[in-house]
Amino acid sequence: MDNQGRKHRILMVSDFFFPNFGGVESHIYYLSQCLLKLGHKVVVMTHAYGKRSGVRYVTGGLKVYYVPWRPFLMQNTLPTLWLTFPIIRTILIREKISVVHGHQAFSTLCHEALMHARTMGYKVVFTDHSLYGFADVGSIHMNKVLQFTLADIDQAICVSHTSKENTVLRSGISPEKVFMVPNAVDTAMFTPSPNRLSCGEIVIVVISRLVYRKGADLLVEVIPEVCRLFPKVRFIVGGDGPKRVRLEEMREKFSLQDRVEMLGAVPHAQVRSVLVSGHIFLNSSLTEAFCIAILEAASCGLLTVSTRVGGVPEVLPDDMIVLAEPDPEDMVRAVKKAIDILPGIDPQVMHLRMKKLYSWDDVAKRTEIVYDRAMQSSNTNLLDRLPRYLTCGAWAGKLFCLVMIINYLVWCLLEFLQPAEGIEEVPDIGPLLTHLDPVDDPCEAQGD
Amino acid sequence: MPAWIVFWRADTMKKHQAQGISAGGVYRYTHRREGGADIHDVFVEKSASRLLFSYIGAMLLLANVCYALLKQESLCLSSFWCVPFSAIVAKSLQYKPVKKESLMIMPGFGVQLEQHFWSGRVHRQFVPIGKILKPVLNECVTPVTCYWSLALLVRNEDKITLVFKKLHPPVKMLVPIWKALCAFTSSDSITSPS
Repeated sequence: MDNQGRKHRILMVSDFFFPNFGGVESHIYYLSQCLLKLGHKVVVMTHAYGKRSGVRYVTGGLKVYYVPWRPFLMQNTLPTLWLTFPIIRTILIREKISVVHGHQAFSTLCHEALMHARTMGYKVVFTDHSLYGFADVGSIHMNKVLQFTLADIDQAICVSHTSKENTVLRSGISPEKVFMVPNAVDTAMFTPSPNRLSCGEIVIVVISRLVYRKGADLLVEVIPEVCRLFPKVRFIVGGDGPKRVRLEEMREKFSLQDRVEMLGAVPHAQVRSVLVSGHIFLNSSLTEAFCIAILEAASCGLLTVSTRVGGVPEVLPDDMIVLAEPDPEDMVRAVKKAIDILPGIDPQVMHLRMKKLYSWDDVAKRTEIVYDRAMQSSNTNLLDRLPRYLTCGAWAGKLFCLVMIINYLVWCLLEFLQPAEGIEEVPDIGPLLTHLDPVDDPCEAQGD
Repeated sequence: MPAWIVFWRADTMKKHQAQGISAGGVYRYTHRREGGADIHDVFVEKSASRLLFSYIGAMLLLANVCYALLKQESLCLSSFWCVPFSAIVAKSLQYKPVKKESLMIMPGFGVQLEQHFWSGRVHRQFVPIGKILKPVLNECVTPVTCYWSLALLVRNEDKITLVFKKLHPPVKMLVPIWKALCAFTSSDSITSPS
């Protein structure tokens, strides 16, 4: 492995990044921070958020390009196919990138960047963070796009084994190319409360977006039943979304105002303070590739009750989680079981176990191996790659080939209009350790 | 803000002398001293092919407009198509009207930013020394490209003042100018604390 120890120059591309918040965003952020610590160069590219456009530096000297393309739907940029090529090419050249790493299957910017990077002969890695179906119209189209992107990818990463299986089935990529690198949790940020809560009243915490996918409808049936069975149980529900109205209706109907507290949207910085006020964390998702929320809850020392969907059973050891089928009766049973085993749970011990199990440094090291592997893959020219697209489908294959050929021509045109040598490379500043150096040193030297 | 500035310390700019001329594609940079003032000029090099191209484009546009005028009796769909097309052509062929942009550093007073147009018009802007907080080199991102620009942080203004408003000279030309500005602002702030 001659590539071992080699430093990569990575461009992370996704439509989802800070100031937006969610699993993908924090994954990119923490992974980038840990890769920077390992000595790699990391640059993030995303679209502009409101007035946040241009180049920004965040913690640790992580450089973020907010490209001024307006998002049009669910924070996605309009799929333009070739219009983003000039800026992506400029960034790739000026930052001397070696590996392009795209995140999330429904980020159009990510797909476009990977396509352009492949055309230009860069190594590309893709991380899939979600699970999708196969049958509905949206999924069918999404899967076609994914198939196109993954047809010619060097390595792919999935966040759980279930997610890997899902991605392989959806995109037809060879399973040998797919790595499983789980998410992690910042255990330093999610610590249990120093003094143990009394078990006189049991508080069940729910923090999730109140949408169909997160199982808000299940909550509507589970909460009244649990309240009926256990008079000592209280609920705290954090999060907002279209299903919030249903939960409030439920609260009115069963007169549970004093036992179900609705917090509305909880900023990520306050998630910990909400979590530590409870004993049990309830996750009712209907589909989930990994679920960082469970990790955060476990790291805060909460016992988790969750639906057995997607990658959830892989996340925690059996004694830290109670799993249930996604139907109300079974979930009520699981909550009952959790209340029974609750006295045997020590939050501090749980936190220490989580600390050993999950860390972003570990994720970064595993991702590094994927990059090493990607760098070892052979260079191919356009003619070698076209047959890979042809196998994607009778019509789609030809369409994909056409798109790639046009993309290649666009690249040639760009090379003619603005040769790569004409693009200035950006010097590396590294981690901002030199921050306190006297800046005006050279100026004084110039002065005399 | 100054974080990224640090790396420019000693590397690139050894070659910068009082009369240095660096040619870089479309732009040419000269530095001269006149009556105590430090003048940094950035010229646009007229490329023959581009000029020819713009002439041909202008002719085509003229022909197009004449054609539309002559055919005025039949207003049809193509004439609607014609208008935005002409506008796009006109926009893309507009040859950069700026001949040169210069920065004049007057020790003790401030800096003057000048834009010289081909028409002979000159646009001048004076920034007094007391109002300059810091010169910065920053990166601009547009939907299609990225470039460096030199800007001044000016006291009591919420927007930065660009030194070169129309031209985007390469960073190797901007660095000596930035250094000169740094030297100018830091030396003056020592002698006359404002």
